[in-house]
Amino acid sequence: MNMNINDTEELILNMGPQHPSMHGLFRMVVHLQGETVTKIEPKIGYLHRGMEKLAESRTYAQFIPYTDRLDYLASPHNNWAYVQTVEKLMGVVVPERAEYLRVIFGELSRIASHIVMIASTALDMAGWSAWSYGFRDRERILDLYEMTAGSRLTVNIMRIGGISAEPPEEFWPALKAFLDDTPEMLEEYYGIFFGNEITQGRLKNVGILSKELAENLSITGPVLRASGVNYDVRKAEPYSIYDRFDFNVPVRTGCDSYDRTIIRMDEIVESIKIIKQAVHDIPEGPIMAKVPKVIKPPAGEVYHRVENPKGELGFYIVSDGTTKPARVRIRPATFINLQMLPIVALGWKIQDVVAIFATLDAVLGEVDK
Amino acid sequence: MENKELLKQQVTELASRVNGELEESFGVLILKVNAPYIIETLTAAKKFADVPCDFLHDLCGLDLGDHFEVVYQLSSLRGQQTLRVKAMLNREDPVVDSVTRLWQGANYLEREAYDMFGIIFKGHPNLKRIYLWDDFEGYPLRKDYVTEPIEVRNITRTRIEGE
Amino acid sequence: MDVTLEKRLRDDESLLEKNFVVTNLDSLLNWARGHSFWPVTLGLACCAIEMMATGGPRYDISRFGWEVFRASPRQADVMIVAGTCTRKMAPLLRRIYDQMPEPKWVIAMGSCANAGGPFVDSYSMMAGVDKVVPVDVYIPGCPPRPESLLYGLLQLQYKVSNPAKVRLMRHGK
Repeated sequence: MNMNINDTEELILNMGPQHPSMHGLFRMVVHLQGETVTKIEPKIGYLHRGMEKLAESRTYAQFIPYTDRLDYLASPHNNWAYVQTVEKLMGVVVPERAEYLRVIFGELSRIASHIVMIASTALDMAGWSAWSYGFRDRERILDLYEMTAGSRLTVNIMRIGGISAEPPEEFWPALKAFLDDTPEMLEEYYGIFFGNEITQGRLKNVGILSKELAENLSITGPVLRASGVNYDVRKAEPYSIYDRFDFNVPVRTGCDSYDRTIIRMDEIVESIKIIKQAVHDIPEGPIMAKVPKVIKPPAGEVYHRVENPKGELGFYIVSDGTTKPARVRIRPATFINLQMLPIVALGWKIQDVVAIFATLDAVLGEVDK
Repeated sequence: MENKELLKQQVTELASRVNGELEESFGVLILKVNAPYIIETLTAAKKFADVPCDFLHDLCGLDLGDHFEVVYQLSSLRGQQTLRVKAMLNREDPVVDSVTRLWQGANYLEREAYDMFGIIFKGHPNLKRIYLWDDFEGYPLRKDYVTEPIEVRNITRTRIEGE
Repeated sequence: MDVTLEKRLRDDESLLEKNFVVTNLDSLLNWARGHSFWPVTLGLACCAIEMMATGGPRYDISRFGWEVFRASPRQADVMIVAGTCTRKMAPLLRRIYDQMPEPKWVIAMGSCANAGGPFVDSYSMMAGVDKVVPVDVYIPGCPPRPESLLYGLLQLQYKVSNPAKVRLMRHGK
């Protein structure tokens, strides 16, 4: 039989829904030529729970716990997006103290979500110590949630017209202790993960996403800002009371995976600034507006968006005047960001595909709804 | 502000060209057109002078009982303009042109609208189901879809070769 | 194969083992199995994050001997199903269960895996994972705290060491 040592064949590899990279039930069919990728087909839908159809048989207030389970790493933000959309439909004005508390919980969830992203990226490249440090620090934020809302992960803390409960006495000293420890925490991450030459070798100049391609693919969030576009919903169309705070929007122009990861550290620094300003300025007052017992918004439609830690999360609600919505549409941030993976990962090796996918920060609960 | 006035003026002019209706809801302009005119409308909206609406936020389907609609949420990364464009479709034969050649990001969104409503997008490179499995019958988000009873749903389906 | 029939056969088999003579060796083996479970990572949704937190520094799962989460099912003996099992995922779950070598156990963690959870009347959901694989321990919660998961694992350890006592508790004979 004539077999030349140089004959090669294409290998089709299935990185199935259950694999050790901790991002959930994501499946990719990868066509390989040696170790170089020639084509990727992502296949999703293994966690599709049908939330949009469920929303049509639940009342407006009953749907709030379902929004928690979308992006389960930053659940106050999802609640916030939904509740603000309904408040826009009904014309409810939220009291000041509730707005400040919402900002504090929102920014705490942003810090928690970015810590998990950095820890998971480290774990994908077998850096167990960075993962342990990240989870240890995240536990302090979960303690703050538990003091107020009673639950660690899916908090369900926002209501239509305000916030669900007043934080207890021991919340404020614990928050202050956490904020005082953050410079040391960030120093540890810079030292153990970003300064490490293995991380830099695996992430620098890998997976270039150019600016024009990012705009054409409707990508939002830190992935867009790491490609040089200065767009943040908190500054472009300020919702809640974000126009009163003084913070910058970090933008990096590297377009590679290293920038997509380190921009989240910059965002943690900015979030800490916002929380300190909110704690300083918070007024006394009620935490819930006067909302009717049975929520029946007038007929109409509205689209509202917030800046989730992963991108732009939008809710489009069409109401027909009854107690149950006619259509709730969830615009998921990572589902649309995922479209960059087949284009950006071409020509790289199989291990780079894992690193590029980790920097996208996909949470499959949001992708699959 | 003059930005909004400029946008309203240009949208009114566009509406008269494509036989569309203009509405306003909670501060956002809505332009409703029939399905054949959608590519012309969106190309023109992308190239508005001074207020281009060139970033696609979202694309979704909507079932209003007697007809379908496809809703496009547009705005811009460099300005304050927002526009919502709706394409009206027939319920028996929902076909509309795909906008993937204007925005590549509409790829997965159109597949999702096909999966949930059964709306066919002409010219899409790969129109298959994305969330549900390939031999699922029916289109779930339509108002006349009836969820199967729990006894039927509890039966584990057989695995398609290649999963 | 019908899952309820399979569960009854497995329970009968564990009772039968007790009637043989080599009880000292058996109890040693059961002690060793219970104190060194190797879970397979089947984290599906939000409960997976609590499972990861259980393996984290504060609620250390390593003090019980169970920190070796294997990715490949051929090297594992416990399958912790943490999260929602949809109809699209069900045959793949069964395939992974079939690939695990004997003896093997299943823990259903969270209310979605127990009985469908808050999504049970959706068009793409099954009412719990025990329609696909035979489950030994159910842990309620949405998501269950890490302490609940550790308690569930300790219950499984008790079941593995004393199969007859557990059967007596459940059926009274």
